[in-house]
This record gives sequence, C-alpha cells and structure tokens, in this order.
Amino acid sequence: MTPPELTRDAARPGWLSGQSTGLRLARHTLTLVALAVLLVPFADLAVVTRDPWGELARMASGLAWPAWGAVESPLEALGLTVAVALWGTLGGLLFGFPLALLFARSRLVRTGCAFVRAIHELFWALLFLQVFGLSAATALMALAIPYAGIFAKVFAEILEQIPGAPREALPPGVSRLSRFVYAELPLAWTRFAAYTRYRFECALRASVLLGFVGLPTLGFQLETAFREGRYHEAGALLWLFYLLIASLPWWGHRQLLPLLMIGGAFLLAPWPEVSTSLLWRFVSQDIWPPALLAGDWKGLIDWLARVPELGAAIGNTLLLGLLGSVGALLVALALWPLACRHFGNAATRLAGRGLLLFLRSTPELMLAFLFLLLLGPSLLPAWLALSLHNGALIAFLVARHADAITPGMPDASGVGRFAYELLPRVYPGMLALLYYRAEVILRETAILGMLGVATLGYYIDANFEYLLFDVAFFLLLVTALLNIAVDALSRRLRPREAAVIDDPCQR
Amino acid sequence: MRWLAVPAALCLFAQGAAADTFRFTAIPDENQSRLIERFSKVADYLETRLDVEVEYVPVKSYGASVSAFRNDQVQLAWFGGLSGVQARRLVPGSVALAQGSEDAEFKSYLIAHRSTGLEHAETLPEAIRDMSLTFGSRTSTSGRLMPEHYLRQRFDAAPDELFSRVGFSGDHSRTIALVEAGTWELGAVNFSVWDAAVADGRVDTDKVDVIWETPPYPDYNWTVRGDVDARFGEGFTDRVRAALLEMDDPELLASFPREGFIPADNALYAPIEDVAEELGLLR
Repeated sequence: MTPPELTRDAARPGWLSGQSTGLRLARHTLTLVALAVLLVPFADLAVVTRDPWGELARMASGLAWPAWGAVESPLEALGLTVAVALWGTLGGLLFGFPLALLFARSRLVRTGCAFVRAIHELFWALLFLQVFGLSAATALMALAIPYAGIFAKVFAEILEQIPGAPREALPPGVSRLSRFVYAELPLAWTRFAAYTRYRFECALRASVLLGFVGLPTLGFQLETAFREGRYHEAGALLWLFYLLIASLPWWGHRQLLPLLMIGGAFLLAPWPEVSTSLLWRFVSQDIWPPALLAGDWKGLIDWLARVPELGAAIGNTLLLGLLGSVGALLVALALWPLACRHFGNAATRLAGRGLLLFLRSTPELMLAFLFLLLLGPSLLPAWLALSLHNGALIAFLVARHADAITPGMPDASGVGRFAYELLPRVYPGMLALLYYRAEVILRETAILGMLGVATLGYYIDANFEYLLFDVAFFLLLVTALLNIAVDALSRRLRPREAAVIDDPCQR
Repeated sequence: MRWLAVPAALCLFAQGAAADTFRFTAIPDENQSRLIERFSKVADYLETRLDVEVEYVPVKSYGASVSAFRNDQVQLAWFGGLSGVQARRLVPGSVALAQGSEDAEFKSYLIAHRSTGLEHAETLPEAIRDMSLTFGSRTSTSGRLMPEHYLRQRFDAAPDELFSRVGFSGDHSRTIALVEAGTWELGAVNFSVWDAAVADGRVDTDKVDVIWETPPYPDYNWTVRGDVDARFGEGFTDRVRAALLEMDDPELLASFPREGFIPADNALYAPIEDVAEELGLLR
C-alpha cells in the first residue's frame, strides 16, 4: 500500500511485483483472501430463509424498547461484572508479569503460555465449575489463567521492542534487577499500562460471557432472557452492557481504581473454601478415561473409538478460523474510517463509533443467532458473526491508531488521504492485529456450537453437558495443541513488517 | 445476587451439623426470569416446614445442577428425567422423592413449519426423512432423549442419518421460535412449554404446528442426597418429601410450573436410564 510513485521505477513494472513493504503486504493479503476463496466450496454455506421477520421484529423491538423493570438486581449484576473483570485482569497481571521476564529465555514458559491461551475462558470456567462450584474462585481463575498467558506474551514483546541504548549505557556488572528497574521498566511502563487497560475491556466482555455458564454476571440473565425470547429484558441488559463499555473512559479512571478494587472485593466475597477432596477427585479421576486409570489398554482403544470424529471437527475448526480471520480483515478495512477523526463529520463519526461498539460488544453468540434466523443453519451465520465481531474490534483499534497520526497532506481529499496516507501507515499494524486476533477467532469457533457447526468446541461443550469430563478434557488438549500449531505456523508465515507495529499496546 | 459459598458444605459438616444450610436448586422448563426472587419463596416455605436454614442456588444448565448435586453444593434438586438419572448414578444412595402431577405422563411434540405441508398424524410420517430437525438442549429428556428414542424406534436410524441436518437449539422456547421462523423444518419440544406458548398467543399456529406426539414417559423429579438424614436429623428425607407433596400454594407451584407434586421413586425412571444408555449419553 505504498504510493505507486515508489514502484514506478521498478525493473519490472507489473502491478504487484516489487519488494516494497506495501507490495509485500498486499501480496500477502491477496494470498490469504485467495486461500479463503479456494476453501469456500468446502464450507457448508447453504441459505434457508422462510419467515424470519416476525422473530427479527420482536428482537428489534426488544432493543428499541428495553424493559428496565424486568431485570433482577441490575446494579449487583453490573457490579459483579466489573469486579470479576477487574480482579481477573489483576490476577492475570500478577502471574503474567513475572512470566514475561522469562518468556524470551524459556521454551517451557512460552509453550505453557501458548497452552493456557489456547483454551477459551468459557471452557476454563466449565473446568473450574466442577471443583469450585459457582463461586468467585471459578470466575477469577477462568479469566486470570488465560490472561496470564496473554500478558506474558505481549509484555515480553513490548520489552523486546524498547530501545536498547539506555541498557547499553549502564556500566558493566550492573545486576539484572537494576537493569530492569532503571533501564527497561520506565521505557515500557506506558505501553504496559495501555495494554492493561485494553485487556480490561476484553475482560469485561469475557466477564459477561461467564454468565452464560451460570456465574451471576450480566450474562446470566442476558443469556436466559435471550434464549427464552424475552427480548425486552434482553434489550435492557444489552443496553446496560453497551453503556458500561461506552462509559469506560470515565469510570475506568486510574484514580478510581483503588475504589473499584475495594468495592469489587467486597462484592466477590465471601471467598469459598476450597474442598481439596473435590479438587483431587477431579484431577486424579474425572478428567482421565476410566480405562486408562484401570490400566486396561483394550478398553482405552474402545474409549478412543467412541471419541467424536476428530478429522472432521479439526477441519471445520480450521476452516471457520481461516474464513473468520479473512472476513474480519475485510470488515476491518471497510469499517475503520467510520470511526476515525480524519474522515466524515462529528455525526458520522459518532454513528461509526456506535456501530463498532455495538458489533464488538454484542456477544458473538447473539450475532450468530440473528444470522441463523436470517440465513438458516450452516457455517454462514458463524462466519458472519466472527467476521463482524472481530472485524469491528480491529477497526476500533486501527481507528484509534490513525487518530494519533497527523496527516502530512492536509489538502488531500478523503479518498486520497485514505489510500495514500493513512492506510499505508496503519496497514502493517492492522495485519499484526489480525494475526493476534486469528488466535482468538480460532478459540471462538468453539462457542458457536449452537449453530450445529461441528467444530471441536461443539463436542467439548456436548461432553461437558453429558458429564463426560474425560472426553471433554481430551478434546481440550487437542484444541490447545491445534492452537499452538496454528500460532507457530502463522508466526512463520506472517510478513516480518506485520510483526512490528507502532503501538504494540493495541494488540 | 450473592456469590455462593457452595464448596464450603464439607467444611461446615466438619464444624457440626447445626451450622448446616440445606441448599436446593431448580431449573423450570420455561420462564427462567427472576429465578432468585421466585425460588426464594420456595426456600422460605421449605424453611418453615423443615426447621433448618434453606437456600436456593440458581444454576444455568442441567449439567451444572448435576455437578452441584454431586459435589454436595446442593442437597436437593428439581431435575429433568435424564439429569435425575445422571445425578442418582453419581451419588449412590440418593432418592427420587416426588414428581409433578404432569410428570407421570409427560410427552413431547414434534412440530413442523407449514412449508413442510405435514399434518397432524397418529404415526410418524415417512415424509420427515431428509428434512432438517432441531432438538432442544442436548441433555433434555423431553427436548432430545425421548423424541430421539421414538424416532430411532420408528425409522431404525440415528437422527443424523434420518435428517438432512440436526441441531440443538438449547431451549424449548427457542426451538419453537426457530421452527416458526422456518430456520428448521421440524422441532422436538416439551408439550407443556408448547401448550403454554399457544395458550398465551406467543406462537403463530398458522406457521408452525404439532404433527405428532410421543407416547407418555416419566420426566421431572425432586431428588435428595442419601446422606441428609445423617446431617439434618433422622427422618429428614421423609420430612422433605412431605413438604414437597403438601406444597399447595399456587404461586409456589407456578414457578416450576406444576399443578402439584405426587410421590415418585428411583425405579420409575428405569425406562429413561435404559434409553440414555442406548443413546450413549450415560455410561
């Protein structure tokens, strides 16, 4: 996406040849899109539409006329949503920060972090639910554990990218600790803080999702009301959540943090006493095939034969992950200018920001249900939901990045500014975000089992319901290994330029 | 909503039975709004009848209620047919105390979108082959287990061989909404949820209607852990049973929603257990 002037003098004037960064990224993007187009015939994209309008009208009227009175103790649900997100993030920070310091040096730490990141928050919650019940412990660990893995990775990358000069200026013999405290931490501090803030917004969304499995956050009532078609009540809860996210810059202020922490801790109390016998039964028996524990090898083979067909499930997971990622890229490309200060007027920007907030804060499951009604059961609703949700999230971050850029060509028209000035500057960052997000998208394919898309997550969810924890755990291990493999592959394949973005805090 | 200090039950036991709170959970088959408000009234009623502190624990799914029961985080639960069987298998000694008066002869409906052209029939029509069908929740007795059983019996084929596409909507109300919208051609649904939706005018019977009903089978039940007598005093199980059977306040009963409760026992649910084993949902 470099201006064409730069390539005009190239030896071969073909319009995608050349070695400039922009052209390499453009080729890379087109390859990704081509791969998705090639694989589309393998996806089940049948469209069935009969009479969705009655139900869609009821949903729309629910959002337009929310029934505030129908929500049971809304303030407590809001408070718990914030408390879980806040303490979950802090827990992740507590474990993730020390791991970040070891991240570059220890393969064990890197693999461990990739492993905990690979399992969706909801599945962590389902695991802990078996031991800690519906308690604060379940909710906090479900957030803190995967977030520790994410913090470790991102903080390590921030540390890698800080300038080396201050470090090298120190006299020889300075201890590792002093070097870190005086020459590294101050340079990375603002980025750490900015990233933590962004992670907190993610934690708020995850905290709502935890309600879907029964923890008493906003999602508890939201899921029930939506599932049972009480859309006015669901509308009220969704509005509460949108307002919570939109007002984050005001209430999520640094000076309010201690107050929020203390208030949150009070809401989360009382901390449940952990029953060690339950914990031991779970880790020593429940999650292992009975035949394995009995040392019965033939029985183990029978057990394996009854595990759902892995090939098809892995195929569906990867296909949906790839299509979702490419879809998210296209959505992000189309939507980011809507919320960016360099385009449109105050009214269009407000609408654009509202749209992005709506798309990124509405749980994917609900977007998917909307498309399920419209388009019928297939991979298509899941694809659209993943693309729109993640695309809007990337667009939001890219717009924030572009807002920080001062244009060098103030006279350029909107289109010119988009094509020649801003897009070339934000695009490497956008691709980097996409590669980060691809990991999340792959994880999210798991929670769209409702649509009958037989991904790995569909079977994990099913086996948790059948209380076959051994099968669920085995499938979780397969999912985690798959995510680690995809992560390694994408790190090898992604263009080097896309790994370096101006502001890693946006990831 | 309070966080539930649930796993504390074992520790409390160690401190002496006097400090014990008797906890129960219940998931109604429809309208799960204001669960705490509604079931706290049931808890108050049980408290006056049992002379112990009673607390309601809200859960989201049958799986979660069985886990809570197994882990002693609740001692009494209003289960579906299948979740009751799962729970009694996992907690030896636990007993089914009572069922709703509707539950002795429960049934499921097969509903169809009008575009299928299917009419109400006494036997399952051959024409449903290769249509699309959605069940309710995966572990629902009336939304999945029994309908699947009768479909297999009639066609001698698993649902995914019989139908072009099989889904799990997760909920009876949602099954009705999705078949009404034509997203799925057929749906399997709990008869009482359907009847209530039709009575309230929440469903357009020009677009979706019942085409077949299953033979009767036993469903929802109250199940209590076997160790409650030791913890709450001799005869506690009988007192709980009496309290449930004598519950006659329409407001309390409407929460389930049932007309009243009648006695039940474990053996009543043997057919459910057999079917679940046959379908591979139990082992």
